[in-house]
Amino acid sequence: MYAFTYHRPTTVRQAVNLLAKNSEAKLLAGGHSLIPVMKLRLGSPGALIDMNKIEGLSGIELKGRSLVIGAMTRHGEVATSQVVKEALPALADLAGMIGDPAVRHRGTIGGAIAHNDPSADYPAAVLGLGATIITSKRRIEADEFFKGMFETALEPDEIITKVSFPLAKKAAYQKFKQPASGFALVGVFVSKRGADIRVAVTGAGASGAFRVTAFEEALKKRFSPKSIEGMTVPATGLNGDIHGSAEYRAHLIAVLARRALAAA
Amino acid sequence: MATITDQGTAKVGAQVGRSVPRLEGRDKVTGRAEYTHTMRLSGMLHVKLFRSTVAHGRIKSVDTSAAKKLPGVAHVVTIEDVRKVIPDPYYGPAFHDQPILADGKVRFVGEPVAAVLAADPHVAEQAAQLIVAEYEELPAVYDEVEALTSKVHVHDVLKPAGTFADLKHLKDAKGTNLALDYRLRRGDVDKAFASAAHVFEHEFRTQKVLHLSFEPHATIADYKDSGVTLHTASQGPSFVRTEIARLLGWPENKVRIKVPYLGSGYGSKLYIKLEALALALSMIARLPVKVALTMEEMFYQITKHPSTFRIKSGVDKDGKIIARKCEVYWNGGAYADIGPRVTQKSGLTASGPYDIDNVWIDSYALYTNMTPAGALRGFGVPQLVWAYESHTDMIARALKIDAVEFRRKNLLREGRPHPTGTVLKDAAIEKVLDRLVERINWKQPMDRGTGVVRRGRGLGIAIKAVISPTTSVAIVNVSADGSVALYCGTIDMGQGSDTAMAQMVGEVLNMPAESVRVVQRDTDVTPYDMGTLGSRSLFHMGHAVRRAAEDAQEKLKALACEVGEPEGSNIPIPALFVKKYGMQAGNVIGTGIYKPDYVPPAPGTGLSSNVTPFWMISGAGAEVEVDTETGHIKIAKLISVLDIGKSINPKIVETQISGAALMQLGFTMFEKMHLDGGQVTNASLADYKIPGFHDVPTAMENLTVDVTQSNGPFGAKGVGEVSTFCVSPAIANAIDDAVGVRLMELPLNPESVLRALRVKAGKPLGDE
Repeated sequence: MYAFTYHRPTTVRQAVNLLAKNSEAKLLAGGHSLIPVMKLRLGSPGALIDMNKIEGLSGIELKGRSLVIGAMTRHGEVATSQVVKEALPALADLAGMIGDPAVRHRGTIGGAIAHNDPSADYPAAVLGLGATIITSKRRIEADEFFKGMFETALEPDEIITKVSFPLAKKAAYQKFKQPASGFALVGVFVSKRGADIRVAVTGAGASGAFRVTAFEEALKKRFSPKSIEGMTVPATGLNGDIHGSAEYRAHLIAVLARRALAAA
Repeated sequence: MATITDQGTAKVGAQVGRSVPRLEGRDKVTGRAEYTHTMRLSGMLHVKLFRSTVAHGRIKSVDTSAAKKLPGVAHVVTIEDVRKVIPDPYYGPAFHDQPILADGKVRFVGEPVAAVLAADPHVAEQAAQLIVAEYEELPAVYDEVEALTSKVHVHDVLKPAGTFADLKHLKDAKGTNLALDYRLRRGDVDKAFASAAHVFEHEFRTQKVLHLSFEPHATIADYKDSGVTLHTASQGPSFVRTEIARLLGWPENKVRIKVPYLGSGYGSKLYIKLEALALALSMIARLPVKVALTMEEMFYQITKHPSTFRIKSGVDKDGKIIARKCEVYWNGGAYADIGPRVTQKSGLTASGPYDIDNVWIDSYALYTNMTPAGALRGFGVPQLVWAYESHTDMIARALKIDAVEFRRKNLLREGRPHPTGTVLKDAAIEKVLDRLVERINWKQPMDRGTGVVRRGRGLGIAIKAVISPTTSVAIVNVSADGSVALYCGTIDMGQGSDTAMAQMVGEVLNMPAESVRVVQRDTDVTPYDMGTLGSRSLFHMGHAVRRAAEDAQEKLKALACEVGEPEGSNIPIPALFVKKYGMQAGNVIGTGIYKPDYVPPAPGTGLSSNVTPFWMISGAGAEVEVDTETGHIKIAKLISVLDIGKSINPKIVETQISGAALMQLGFTMFEKMHLDGGQVTNASLADYKIPGFHDVPTAMENLTVDVTQSNGPFGAKGVGEVSTFCVSPAIANAIDDAVGVRLMELPLNPESVLRALRVKAGKPLGDE
């Protein structure tokens, strides 16, 4: 085992200060990505800042036409919350598809979004609903937040505190699992909120979650699977790996988008 | 999940045929059972291995200096150090081809090149990362078919172990990757093909997969000049002892092999694995040394054989198969391990459970530059059945004959000679097929599905000969208080053998199985057994145990007679001992040995009048739902029907059937070691999928037919592997039935299914 310092702040301000002072530090939320990375020695941060004792970072609240979820809210809480199930059932469904029960009881929405794993589920919902990421410093629109595989707009000393999801009139998520890990081989989130139509894809992009603008345009006439019937997504720029070729992922995007539209 | 079972039970007496709960179950579920992987000895050093990153290469240098300097490191060992304690450091069951650490060359990515010893395993791990090796890379060969003619040779000279007579001709052979070619020649296939109304030829492939037992490989060696003790997770302590004694040049009585419970094995812990390395390291350190692999390292220890099977059948105008030619290529990896046995013992049933007058089988064991391959729950037979039962289905489809009807027309029936020449006896092939047809409602039309989801069903049947000839020895010890202990070398690795063996002892001695103590495996104590493999133990060790118990029974009767008891006296056993010795003293020892009759296959023709003491017969039926838009397959129903003779313990039989079927379901649907330049790219459970509870079919039936194995102990025979045989072709046949596409290579993953569907539709994926 190698040595690292462990901090357990009780306020966001303390956490931000620790982060600002220590460029090697990593935030520990649910730990389901960070701890394996450390165990496999893919990373060896000099300090861990445990977020779990910070008060007020967890919780689900309906604020007007938005659903606001605290950064440390566990996937299991989102999946089973009556508030989420009524206001944004697609989001509860998505949270319930993440990993397995153990993962859902530890993993947090803030951690998942900040980590921005290209196969994680939450980025599809954040992008697919046009959510706003609220941090210790500012508010960041979903379209500005994800900057590529494991990259986000977050600054080194910036911490996600909440995510605000605007309520959509229609929304659904469809996921085709990578069988070994349960991550999304392809996941597609669709939503309609007034004139704002979104189709967001996770798992398939070589640089993380992305929107399928061609589908969105086609759906403006009618938010229905029929509107994108026969449409395909080019395989160029998509992930191809042992779990699925880029062509197969491209194919699945169209299939899952149609299925999500049918379910929405 | 719904399960249906109807195991026929042996109504012999009170013990056999009863679902006795597993004797060791409580210790296991409460975490008290002992396993090598969690065992510690006082003063023990831990080992971490530095492994080759090159598939084939000459070692130019291994720099261990930085590793040696790391505080806490006790030793850093390479083959030069090993040679000082073991001058000829090569081991293996069929060939003495595997060096304890890489010797001048590396032959697969992951081959151990150096070992670091430290009291703290984390220090050893850190030090192993400081080792630097330089290689002169050589061209490598990976494909089993290419290996037969490749100019790249994995070994310069072949070194058969001498254990098996039919490998002797390969001694000192050069310029080949062929470790064994088994041949069977019956009738005249060429003539029959010429006269056939239809000839079908197909090629099937299986992928590289591995056992992934819950407890990774582990061995602790404790060497002293007076003797050596190995605690090891092994399926065959007797073989380990022989091989360790050979490496040391010692008599076997100075070598002690102790085996606690195993966290499963499936063939991965057979013969000799980490034991030779642990021995050498303990000799160097002169301390107990533990070598224990991680889950990830098992990808570099032993795997199943990938295979290519070219199968050709000639069928006459009435739908009778008149000729079958089988060419099977087995990808054995860098070291032979038991591959040559797999090649021969499964090769002989490559033509399937069919009555065919003209059969030609060539079965080739080949070296390649990959992780070595060995036995995996079926000894090669699942690879064969995958091919021949897919092929059989394809023929029936092409000839527009019902798949069951076609099989019935060609079934090998009781009393008829198998292609080897051995007459079929106690092989309920037809009964298995009948039961399968009934359970899968073959005669009734099925709901074919609508829209994007299409449904279909398929089945397969199979035959296997048990590995032969093999020997088992058992001892039954009756103490003066009347309690009984059984000494037998069969390893209980989760299959429940201790319970079954105790039931047989209890049956003979008329006492509850629960009261029989099964002594932990220790070659100082437990007698010889060839190994826990190939579904042989219940039959072979079962007979030895039965005989040992009968011998004890006879001796108890003789003792009663000696102390003046009348014939048929029911004097309690403790009273008998008191009468004889004047107090609670003494033992009665019963012994039993079993080795079946056997005629080795004739060289050149592979024919034998007695190739196996029993036949394993199974069938599987599957109902699938194919999502035609994604290629996703849902297994709606999986039915296994087996001929296992009588069930000694019906509950254990059920779990053996369901466990083996689910394991094969993984090999069928998703398991695959991906290789890139010889490097495994998914050596982790995050990327290598094994079956979990969510993969259990919606409905599963684990059935046996009500028959008796006339030469089996209490009418029984082995069950451990048997339900693996037919799962793959049953599912592939069901997919074809559902959507009309035929997959020729495992696994049957969604992308493969979708690609086949798109090709069929004339719109190959990626062409839009």
